[in-house]
Amino acid sequence: MTTLDHHASVRPVPNPKKSLITKLNMGTGLVVGIIFAVATYYGLGGDSAGVFENYNRTLLATMFMWSIGFMVGIGAFIGPFRWLIGKDLTDEEQLYLAGDGQGIKRYFKYCTDHKVVGIQYMVGVMALLGVGGTMAMMIRTNLIQPGSKFVGPSIYNSLVGLHGITMIIAMIIVVTGPFGNFIMPIMIGAADMAFPRLNALSWWVLFTAIPVLCSAWFLGGIPTGWTAYAPLSVQAGPGMNAFIATIIIFAISTAVAGANITATVVAMRAKGMKWNRVPIFVVGATMSVALAIPAFPTFMVSMIMTGLDRSYATTFFDANLGGSGWLYAHLFWIMGHPEVYVILIPGVAVLMEIAPVFVRKPLFSYNAAIAGFAGITGLSVLVWAHHMYMSGWMPMLNGPFMVTTEMISVPTGLIFLVILGTLWRGRPWLKLPMLGVYAFLWNFLIGGITGLYLSDVPADNYLHGSMYVTAHFHYTLMGAALTGALAGLAYWFPKMTGRMLNERAGYISFWLVQIGFQVLFLGMFIAGAEGQPRRVADYSINFATSDLISSIGAYMIGLGMIVLLWAVIHSWRHGKIAPMNPWGSKTLEWTVPYPVPLVNFDTPPVVTSDPYGYGKASN
Amino acid sequence: MSDDHGLVEMQPTPGQKLAAIFKQREVRVATAWGVLVTFIFFIIGGWIYPSWMPIAMSTDMKSIERLIVIFTWISAPICGIVLGFSIYTFLHRHKGDTPPADGPAIRTNSLVVGLWVIVSSALCLVAIVYGLIEMNTASAATAEHKKNAMVVEVTGSQWAWSFNYPEQGVVSHELNLPINRPVEFRIISVDVNHSFWPVQLGVKVDANRLQTTVVDTTPNKLGTLDVKCAELCGLYHAYMETSGEVMSVADFDAWVTSHQGGHTA
Repeated sequence: MTTLDHHASVRPVPNPKKSLITKLNMGTGLVVGIIFAVATYYGLGGDSAGVFENYNRTLLATMFMWSIGFMVGIGAFIGPFRWLIGKDLTDEEQLYLAGDGQGIKRYFKYCTDHKVVGIQYMVGVMALLGVGGTMAMMIRTNLIQPGSKFVGPSIYNSLVGLHGITMIIAMIIVVTGPFGNFIMPIMIGAADMAFPRLNALSWWVLFTAIPVLCSAWFLGGIPTGWTAYAPLSVQAGPGMNAFIATIIIFAISTAVAGANITATVVAMRAKGMKWNRVPIFVVGATMSVALAIPAFPTFMVSMIMTGLDRSYATTFFDANLGGSGWLYAHLFWIMGHPEVYVILIPGVAVLMEIAPVFVRKPLFSYNAAIAGFAGITGLSVLVWAHHMYMSGWMPMLNGPFMVTTEMISVPTGLIFLVILGTLWRGRPWLKLPMLGVYAFLWNFLIGGITGLYLSDVPADNYLHGSMYVTAHFHYTLMGAALTGALAGLAYWFPKMTGRMLNERAGYISFWLVQIGFQVLFLGMFIAGAEGQPRRVADYSINFATSDLISSIGAYMIGLGMIVLLWAVIHSWRHGKIAPMNPWGSKTLEWTVPYPVPLVNFDTPPVVTSDPYGYGKASN
Repeated sequence: MSDDHGLVEMQPTPGQKLAAIFKQREVRVATAWGVLVTFIFFIIGGWIYPSWMPIAMSTDMKSIERLIVIFTWISAPICGIVLGFSIYTFLHRHKGDTPPADGPAIRTNSLVVGLWVIVSSALCLVAIVYGLIEMNTASAATAEHKKNAMVVEVTGSQWAWSFNYPEQGVVSHELNLPINRPVEFRIISVDVNHSFWPVQLGVKVDANRLQTTVVDTTPNKLGTLDVKCAELCGLYHAYMETSGEVMSVADFDAWVTSHQGGHTA
């Protein structure tokens, strides 16, 4: 906990003159990080050794030392160090770290204010989505006609892997990063996150993963897809080290962020905010990060093992020497299936938060919504091996995994019920956020039903590993989760920037993206059903029509996203000044002005009901 | 909804409640939309997948096609409910720049929630049972064919398939099979993971290093086969494909005779 609270009323001008803290920022982080990296690289002999294992060891060490160096340089360890020697940061220093009154500079510092962290995450996510989207455009350009004429198989395979992991990382943080940090503490009436310094840590650790991931381009790419199956990943070139290091660093960031968000919601809710009064977005975001806490470590472990196989010639995944590729697949999917719900649930929760506001009705069956989230969260840890039906690992267990997988359709059905029930007998106000609710209903319906075929073992005999799978998970992750995140952007933009998002550009972007999305993935469903495997740089002529359709849809999405980017940048700078509560919402974040004060509320709010008290009683 | 304050009356039965729900005009209009959507999905489901998918050349592929059609039919009423109600509310949207008036304060409706859970569980159960029956049929067929199945040893390597017919003493890069004889594929990889996918036969299994995986089927239609790799296996994954043919027994025997003893393409 910080000591900010008792300073709120006094607000001295922070003046920790001599403190090192005032001298440190992103620039010093970069300098120290690069020094650490260069020293490590040449200290370990660079690439002069010429031995596969030695080079991998050097590269991995370099990447981790860059990350550690950056965190040292930005001052992340000053607090813990002081604490170790029996002191702590002074109140002035703590207040300085919160960044109050430091203007734009605080966004480049180790700033503990959750609103600053939220904006940092938002810009970071937009950058990741931009990079991942550009790679998607390159993939579709290569597939526009048979022959792999645009980039060729080597670069294509790298694009597939990098697009995959970039988008997965972006989608994991797309809601809980910006909105979970900026909005959620205000929504529950807290002054900040439970652990503000850990909050800054989670963002800056994640930041250090981005250059590591980008370095893959210069080390020969990631030719394994984001699943990085062993033994292909053990065989892969030096770019694989970037993947390994990125995942390990990212897993640390997510663990820190997950623990922080969970602790905040459990411990820091406003007086009177009982569990049945917590806004549904907060419930969803919390369940999602709570699910991530046990899930991601297995990914981290699988990457540590891959790293050891590659740099110390261990044999975890080497069948010749007693290892097993199936071990990797298990570790990966024990994370991998919960992870899709870590992505999905916050996006859905955003839409559930939006729907009551724009229909002016209470959320239909709050308990069913919780039961839906809890059911999905619980079952999601029992279904991972449906990704391995066709691996030959243990065909006898396909039946049980099919049963658990198909059972998820029941709690998922509750999500539809809650949203439909909220819409029913209301007159929805179709502002941009509300359009997202309708797009979600269609996209998630298609994503869910196509998932039903894939969950079925006999049908998966045909569909597994085909373009059909790719289309299916884009419907759920992009059509449902990203739509939820973009609706959240339109909804909370006024609170985060003080300005309204340009509506006309927003509508143009919405329709371009949504229509393009249907065209793209309808084409891909057809290609999959026709028998085109996924992750192929080239294909035979009989898939040409469906792939051409897909590429046309992809360009529409690309265009729509550029319009959205323009809208965000333009509105952020020149948009119409937003009123305090433009949508007439009843959640707490709309009761604070823009710019939101350092401790959010002048007097801590007291909650007496849930935030869904819309509507007139029928008698 | 809640007009029972202070009145001592018989509670309406769930059946009466349900009938009352359907007496409302908006419910009837939304239901009409739902029925229309269900009908469209039902019709489309019957022909769209079979028209996309390649010709079924084995009983397995035929049952996959049937299963996908039936699953589409099971999903049609779900689409009907979700889209019917969505379309209705979308058409009755509020226009203007100010928020609409408040709607009715419906917090929940235990009858609707209960019904929803029961119906969705029932549909889920149908899908599960149907899938389990299909799996069981397939394993029963495997057991039955165990004795007289022709063995084909499939080896995946970066980036080619090769097929060894131990019974016939033939090694080939083409997958030729006699019609109506059960075939058992024994699949292995010499390097990374591949996935053996003879597309028109409707079977698929990974090729793992040092671990033989087994899958069987019975080709029952003459024609050309595509064999692909369905697991990213490195640089030329996209090109790791070959073809083959389901032949009459006489043609197959002739092919075997002409290839015995030698390694040919």
